[in-house]
Amino acid sequence: MSGPLNALFPWAFLVPLAPAIAFVIVGLFGRRMRRLEWGGWVAVGGAFVAMVLGVLIAVGEMLSPGTYTDRSFNWFTLPGNGTGTFPNGFSLVMGTLVDPLSAIMLIVVTVVGFLVMLYSVDYMHRDTGLPRYYAELSLFLASMLGLVLADNLLQFFLFWELVGVCSYFLIGFYYQRPAAASAAKEAFLVTRVGDVLFLGGIYIYFQQFATAGPGLGWAAAGFPFVFHGAPFLTLLHPPNPTLFTLAGLLILGGAAGKSAQFPLDVWLPDAMEGPTTVSALIHAATMVAAGVYLLAVTSVFIGFSATDSFAIVAIGGFTTFWAASMAMVNRDIKRVIAYSTVSQLGYMVLAIGAGFTMVGLYHLFTHAFFKALLFLAAGAVIHAVDTQDLFKMGGLRKTLRITSIGFLIGGLSLAGIPPLAGFFSKDDVLSSVYTAAQTHPMYWPFFVLAFATVFMTAYYIFRVWFLTFSGDRPRDPTLPPAHEAPWTMTVPILILSGLAILAGALVFVPQIGGLFTAGVGFPATPGVPPTYTTTDILLSVVSVGLGAGGILTAYVLWGNGRVFSLAEDSAAQPIRRLLLERYYVKTAVDWFGLRVVYAVSRFLDFVDEYIIDGTVHGFERLFSELSIRLRRLQSGVVLDYAAYVVVGLAVFLVFLYVIVPAIPALGGG
Amino acid sequence: MTGLPLAGFLALSAVLLGIGIFGILTRRNFILLLIAIEVAMNSAILNFVVFGAYWGGVPGYGIEGQSVAVVLIGLAATEVAVGLAIVLALNRLRGSINVAEATVLKL
Repeated sequence: MSGPLNALFPWAFLVPLAPAIAFVIVGLFGRRMRRLEWGGWVAVGGAFVAMVLGVLIAVGEMLSPGTYTDRSFNWFTLPGNGTGTFPNGFSLVMGTLVDPLSAIMLIVVTVVGFLVMLYSVDYMHRDTGLPRYYAELSLFLASMLGLVLADNLLQFFLFWELVGVCSYFLIGFYYQRPAAASAAKEAFLVTRVGDVLFLGGIYIYFQQFATAGPGLGWAAAGFPFVFHGAPFLTLLHPPNPTLFTLAGLLILGGAAGKSAQFPLDVWLPDAMEGPTTVSALIHAATMVAAGVYLLAVTSVFIGFSATDSFAIVAIGGFTTFWAASMAMVNRDIKRVIAYSTVSQLGYMVLAIGAGFTMVGLYHLFTHAFFKALLFLAAGAVIHAVDTQDLFKMGGLRKTLRITSIGFLIGGLSLAGIPPLAGFFSKDDVLSSVYTAAQTHPMYWPFFVLAFATVFMTAYYIFRVWFLTFSGDRPRDPTLPPAHEAPWTMTVPILILSGLAILAGALVFVPQIGGLFTAGVGFPATPGVPPTYTTTDILLSVVSVGLGAGGILTAYVLWGNGRVFSLAEDSAAQPIRRLLLERYYVKTAVDWFGLRVVYAVSRFLDFVDEYIIDGTVHGFERLFSELSIRLRRLQSGVVLDYAAYVVVGLAVFLVFLYVIVPAIPALGGG
Repeated sequence: MTGLPLAGFLALSAVLLGIGIFGILTRRNFILLLIAIEVAMNSAILNFVVFGAYWGGVPGYGIEGQSVAVVLIGLAATEVAVGLAIVLALNRLRGSINVAEATVLKL
C-alpha cells in the first residue's frame, strides 16, 4: 500500500534529528548568543520541525496503515561463525520503524514536546543556566523520538538510557538545591534498577530466539521488531516457556522503573524538584510514556505469557489505587499531579496486561494531553504566586482566568467526565479489564481497585482545583499579587485544553481510530475505538457517577475557600498519616539504605581498608623496616665485609659437614 | 714422603690460616692487613706444596702441586703490589692508612 505521504517515511529519522541538532547548537553556542532566550527559540524551532514532520508521518500512516521499516544504517557487525547463535554474526542496525504504535507516539511526543518548549521560553526566563536547560530539553525530546522510532530492542534500549540520563539532568536542573540533586539521583538510581532488568530481558530474547529456525539471518539483521513484513513473534522458534516468562517479567521490571509503577514508584513524586516544564514533559510525553510504550511494543511484537500478563495486571491495578490514595492528602500542587500520573500509568499498564494493548496506548494518548495541560496550568500558578503549597493559595480564578479554565478542563478530563478525552479512554480501560476478567477471574480484585480509583481521582484533582482557584482570596495574605501569564504560556494551555477535550473523541474518526488496530499482519487488538454494549454503558454510568461523586465530595470539603480538617481524634487520622508518609515506603527505603546498605558498605570498607590495603601496606612496611635494618650491614668498612665472609664461610661449612650428613633427604646419613 | 707426618703440615697450614684470618679481622692498619692476607694465602700455598710432595713418586702424579704453588707465589706478589699501590694512594688522599676510616669508594 502506498499513500500520498509515504514518501516521507524514509525520512523519519529526521524527526529525532531535528531536536538533536537543536541540542548541538544550543549546547555549543547557547552561551555565546547575545540573548540567552535565543537558545530557547532554537530549541522551539527544533521541536517545531519534529512536530510538523512527526504529525505528517502519523497522518501518512493513517492514510495507508501498515508497517514500514528503513534499516539502512548498520552500525556494526560482530564477526560470526555462521551458526547464528547470539551474538554470533550479530548486527546492530539503527533503523526506523513507522507503524501505528509509533505514529500514535509521534503525535503525542512531538505535540506535547513542542508546546512545552514554547511554554518554557517565558516560564524559565528568570532562571540561570538557560542554555543548559534548552540543550538538555532538546536532547530529552530527541532521545524519546529515537526510542519511539526504534526498530529493534537494542536501539530502543540505547535511546531508553539517553532518556534516563536526560531526566537525571533535568530533574537536577536546580542542582544547587540539595533536594533537587538528591531527587535526580533517586530518579536515576531507581530507574537504573529497571534498566538492568530490561537489559536482562533483551538478552534472554536474543539468546533464546536466535539459536535456530529463521534466526540465522535474523541475528545478522539485528533482531528487528519486524522482519520481512512479519512481526518478531511469528518468527520465533518455540522458546523455553520458563525463560520466555522470565524475559517478560524482566521487561515488566524495566517498564515499572521507567513508568514509576509499584514498587519502583518512589522517584516520580520526588522528581517534582525539577522545573515544572520538565515535569510536564516527563509526565506526559517523554519519560514515563517510554515504559508503557515498551510494554505495548513487547506485547504486540513479542507477546507475554499468561503469568507475565497477570503480573502486569497486578502491578498496574495496584499502582493505580496506591498512587491515587497518596494524591488525596498531599498539599503540594505538583506532587498531587505527580501521584496522579503514577496512578494513570497504572491504568495503561493494567489495560496492556489485560491484553488490550491499544486501549493502554489510547489512554496514554489522551492522558498525555490532559496531564501536560494540568502541569502547564500548575506551572502558570506557581509562576504567578511563587509557591507550590495548596494551603497558601485560593481565589486565583479571578486573576488567572485562562489558567483556571485550563486546569478545570484538565481536571474534568482526568476525572473522566464526558465528553472529555479522559472519559473515553479511562472508560475503555475499565471495560477492557472487565471483559478480560470474565475469562481471567484473577483480574477481578484489580478491576475493583481500578474502579474505586475513579472516585479518588476525581476527588484529589478537584481538591487541588478548589484549593487553588475557588474562594475569595489566597489563604496566605503574603502571597504576591497574581498576574496572568504571557502568550507563550497561555497559548500552549489553550491548545492543550482543546486537545484534552477532543483527543478522546478523535478515535471515532476512522482514520485515527485505524491507528489503534495495531497495523497489518499483527494479531488484532480490539478495544479502540470503544464500543458501547449495554454492559459498557452501565459501567460508564457507574464510573461517571463515581467521578461526579468525587468532585462533589471535593466541593463539599474544600469548595469556596473552605478548608476541611480532620478532627484530631478522628479514626481516620492514622490513615491520613500513613498516606502523608507515603505508606512509609520512603522511610523504609531510607532505613534500608542507612542501616543495611550503609552497614554492608562499612563492612566492605573495613575489608578494603584493613584486610586488602592492610596486606599491601603490611608487605610494604615489612620490606621497608627490613631494609632500614639491613642497610646498617653496608657500613663500607672493609673489615666488616671480611667478617661477613668469614661468618658466611663458617655457616657454609657447618651446613656442609654438620647439617647435610644429618638429613637423609639431602644425601646424608 | 718421609719424616714429618702429613697431619703436622696440615696443622701448620691451619694455624697459618687462623693467624691470617685473625689478622684480617683485627688489623686496621692497611699494611698489617696485607701481611695478614699474605699469611692466610701462604697457608693455602703450603697445602699445595705438601700435597704435591705427598703424592710425589706415585705413578700418574707429577709436580702439579709445586707448580701451582709457584704460580700462587707470583699471584701473591702481584696482589701485594696492587695493595701497596692502594696504600700509597690512600695515604696521599687521606693522610691515613686506617682501613676502618676508608668507608667510601669515591671521594
